[in-house]
Amino acid sequence: MTTGVAPQQQQSFLDPGVLSRIGNLELLAKIVVEGFINGLHRSPHLGASTDFAEHRPYMPGDDIRRIDWKLFARSDRHYIKEYEADTNTNFNVILDVSPSMRYGADPETKRVSKLTYACYLAACLTYFSSLQRDRVGMATIDTDVVEYVPPSAKHLQLVLHTLDRIEKKARDAKSQPGKSTLLVPLRKLSETVRRRSIVVLISDLYEEPDAILDALAHIRGRGNDVMVLHLLDRHEIEFTFSESTNFIDMETGEKMPVIPEYLRKQYKEVVAEHTRALGKRIGETRADYALFDTTKPLDQALYAYLAARQRFNTAR
Amino acid sequence: MNFLAPAFLAGLVAIAVPVLIHLINRERKVVVEFPSLMFLQKIPYKSVRRQKIRHLLLLILRCLAFALLIAAFARPFFARRRAAIGSTGAREVVILLDRSSSMGYANRWDRARDEAKKVVAGLGSTDRATLVLFAGSAAVASEPMATPATLNAAINAAKLSAEGTRYAPALKLASQIIGASTLPRREVVLISDYQKVGWINHNEIAFPQGTTITPVDLGGGVPSDVAVAQVTTNRDSTGDRDKVNVAARLVNTGKTPATVSATLSVGGRDVQSKSATIPASGAQQVAFTSIVVPGAATKGSVRITADSLAQNDVMHFTVAPDEAVAVLIIGPSEPRENEALFLSRAFAIGDRPSFRVTEKRAAEVTPRDFDGKSLIVLDEVPPPRGESGRRLRAVVDAGAGLMLVPGGERTETWPAEWRSILPASVGSVVDRTADAGGTLSSLDYAHPIFEIFNAPRSGDFSTARFYRYRALTPAAGGVVGARFDDGSPAIVEHPVGAGKVVIWASTIDAYWTNLPLQPVFLPFVHQVGKYVGRYADSRSSFVAGEVLDISRHGELAAPFLDGRSVDSLTELVLEAPSGARERVTATGANHLVTLGEQGFYELRGRETPVGSGRPIAVNVDPAESDLSHLDPQDVVVAVTAVDGQRVPGSDFNVGTPQDQERRQKIWWYLLTAAVLLLVGETVLSNRLSRAAN
Repeated sequence: MTTGVAPQQQQSFLDPGVLSRIGNLELLAKIVVEGFINGLHRSPHLGASTDFAEHRPYMPGDDIRRIDWKLFARSDRHYIKEYEADTNTNFNVILDVSPSMRYGADPETKRVSKLTYACYLAACLTYFSSLQRDRVGMATIDTDVVEYVPPSAKHLQLVLHTLDRIEKKARDAKSQPGKSTLLVPLRKLSETVRRRSIVVLISDLYEEPDAILDALAHIRGRGNDVMVLHLLDRHEIEFTFSESTNFIDMETGEKMPVIPEYLRKQYKEVVAEHTRALGKRIGETRADYALFDTTKPLDQALYAYLAARQRFNTAR
Repeated sequence: MNFLAPAFLAGLVAIAVPVLIHLINRERKVVVEFPSLMFLQKIPYKSVRRQKIRHLLLLILRCLAFALLIAAFARPFFARRRAAIGSTGAREVVILLDRSSSMGYANRWDRARDEAKKVVAGLGSTDRATLVLFAGSAAVASEPMATPATLNAAINAAKLSAEGTRYAPALKLASQIIGASTLPRREVVLISDYQKVGWINHNEIAFPQGTTITPVDLGGGVPSDVAVAQVTTNRDSTGDRDKVNVAARLVNTGKTPATVSATLSVGGRDVQSKSATIPASGAQQVAFTSIVVPGAATKGSVRITADSLAQNDVMHFTVAPDEAVAVLIIGPSEPRENEALFLSRAFAIGDRPSFRVTEKRAAEVTPRDFDGKSLIVLDEVPPPRGESGRRLRAVVDAGAGLMLVPGGERTETWPAEWRSILPASVGSVVDRTADAGGTLSSLDYAHPIFEIFNAPRSGDFSTARFYRYRALTPAAGGVVGARFDDGSPAIVEHPVGAGKVVIWASTIDAYWTNLPLQPVFLPFVHQVGKYVGRYADSRSSFVAGEVLDISRHGELAAPFLDGRSVDSLTELVLEAPSGARERVTATGANHLVTLGEQGFYELRGRETPVGSGRPIAVNVDPAESDLSHLDPQDVVVAVTAVDGQRVPGSDFNVGTPQDQERRQKIWWYLLTAAVLLLVGETVLSNRLSRAAN
């Protein structure tokens, strides 16, 4: 597998603001993945699959060993059994759709929300994995598991459709009070993951590092390869506010008067400490951690994923 | 410090605005949704508090600027008091002595004079006193620098008046005297029976601050009095001779019934006496036998048994033969059938007033025919020429009325001197026969001719049809009384000399109009006759204190003018009941006389023998019989000046609050200071902001 730096002229096509004009997630993912990372990686087809896919009528020339004789006994007709192609692994995206993820949308500056960015990211990674013949699935979580698409080689469209609906839901949704946590949904999801998988968690991780690690432990404990993509808006990182205002917590509805000019320095220090702690603690569990600014192009996320995937293959 | 607009001080609440801004730093105005406050809550809040302390100076500056702005808008000023007012020093004393009719009750008048003398006795050597006698009006009765002796003399010389009580003129005069005084102490002593009917609170009357108002109350108690409150003289023309029915209304203000004897006297001779029992706090009507209307104005009185208040125990009146309005109707030499019938018949009906109508053909008129006539009607004839014309013009100038009915007459052939006095130029004949005749659509109900028709169901002119009429164009000064439905004037009048000239556009008979056939024709003709003929109802009596305008009561002066106008400057003599004589004229400067005494005045010519003049009855004000008592403190409180109130004529007056505030202009300094503070605040806040960044 080879990696390379994206050509400069294609960089602009990975800008979230530009991508937000593309209504079709599949097309978006196709543009991003095929246009930018085309040729970087091609997964080998390994072994034969035993996963039944479908029947089709026998055609002259077909291998008669693949005729389903039991079906012939019942129907007196010849059908060929077809099986899914072999894949390396399952690919699961766990997407945080809590209210805090809806932050950051600004049509004037063409900024996208963290959730939209996360959807783009999930779509691209899923599409990319689908090209690798991986089984793709996804789950959305808030205070609990919201939606779940089990991994399957045929679930690319379903995943993309689910992601598309998340965006639409997010646009119409109103904040529901309640602090989201990772522990409950991740514990439930861990019980559904039966095969060793690549699990990508996309969240803004507004929890204490210890709580996040406790939640990840359930996924990690199943032997899955976990990758945490930490999404934050630039305002959340830089705290660029200037007006003294009342800040409202999007998840709990709690209010707090804030004078940004007085708090900016301390805030940035706290955030930096938080991300540093997460990176360190998650790394210690042999999981991957990457922080993303939603104003940055998607290639960084894809590079991070490819690096993790390479390590995953190597480990196998 | 006082404020001209203290309501603005409520704006001090606005000081809370910068305080709140500093406290919450305006964060409540804008709300920002943020994914999580997790990190913010980790930051110690003390850092914010520390910043607030740094801006305390800004806070103080803003609050001070607000306070100064609000104070400027409240228009502050320092009220200045009259420095000369003190508790020691010479006194300016004004003695207000009530001499109204009600003070004649029992011994009130004597007590009042004694009280006034006591005040005079209490004057110091440096004190100054003024005696003001008042009833319906007020007048200073003492000399400007009166000594106690002269004051006592003035008190002794004061006499009861027949007028009613009015406190306002006396208090006004006293406030002017006090306001003009330079003495440090001021005192007003109001000696009165405090009759309630005399008090009307006038806000404009106020004494300067520090003025002592001492009421001396001589009223109160339970007064018992029977008064002749009213005498009516109703005409009875049903018999052969005109008679007058005299009735008196007796009022008892006491708490027990009273039996009195009421006597009617006419011409100085008692005619009839009747006994009447009047219930407590009630009234009783006493009717006397009818008396024949005498040939000349005669004195009459109704008198009852004298009691504690003698002045209202008699009421005078006069009985005079009704003065008829002399009307001369001049018709054409060859009249239509019944041309003057409607007018003469209309004038013949009624007795208040009665019209004495004389009809003449135009060719038969002589100058003497106009003598003594109050109204001349030219019914479709031109004005007479020659001597008759001049005589007619003279009587019109002297006050007679002229009614012109041009009909189909060609007015352009009239003499120029007559055309010039017409209230309207007469145009062509308007023929409305094609549209079933015109109507009177616009009546000026403010005009004396039509004012009685203003009330509902008081005369319907709408049924009258006018098939032809002359188009009138009002001259300058011509007053239009009514208009036809096409806007053309129907009746126009204007004054000529002392008389009036009125022109009627249609005919006065049923030739061009059916108005004479309508019920409203009779009152309309009478109104025209009374107004143009200058008829005035004669009054049987006047009230003491009333001003007699002789020019408005021509019936009083007419017997002594020898046919001259009431507007002439012929000197007459008016002799009061006390014998005081006054020269008056029917017009000019001396035509107004105040009738201050009770009894019979006599108006006569200079050559008329005493006792042969026209009697004029004057009675005390019937309201004086109401002896209801007023709390003296009500008067004192009402006239006590409030702080800063302007007192006219006062040398020490410091002006109204508005004047003081305008002079001091404190608001300007406050506003300047506020602006400077705000500039300083801006500079400081900018520096602090830059330092924070």
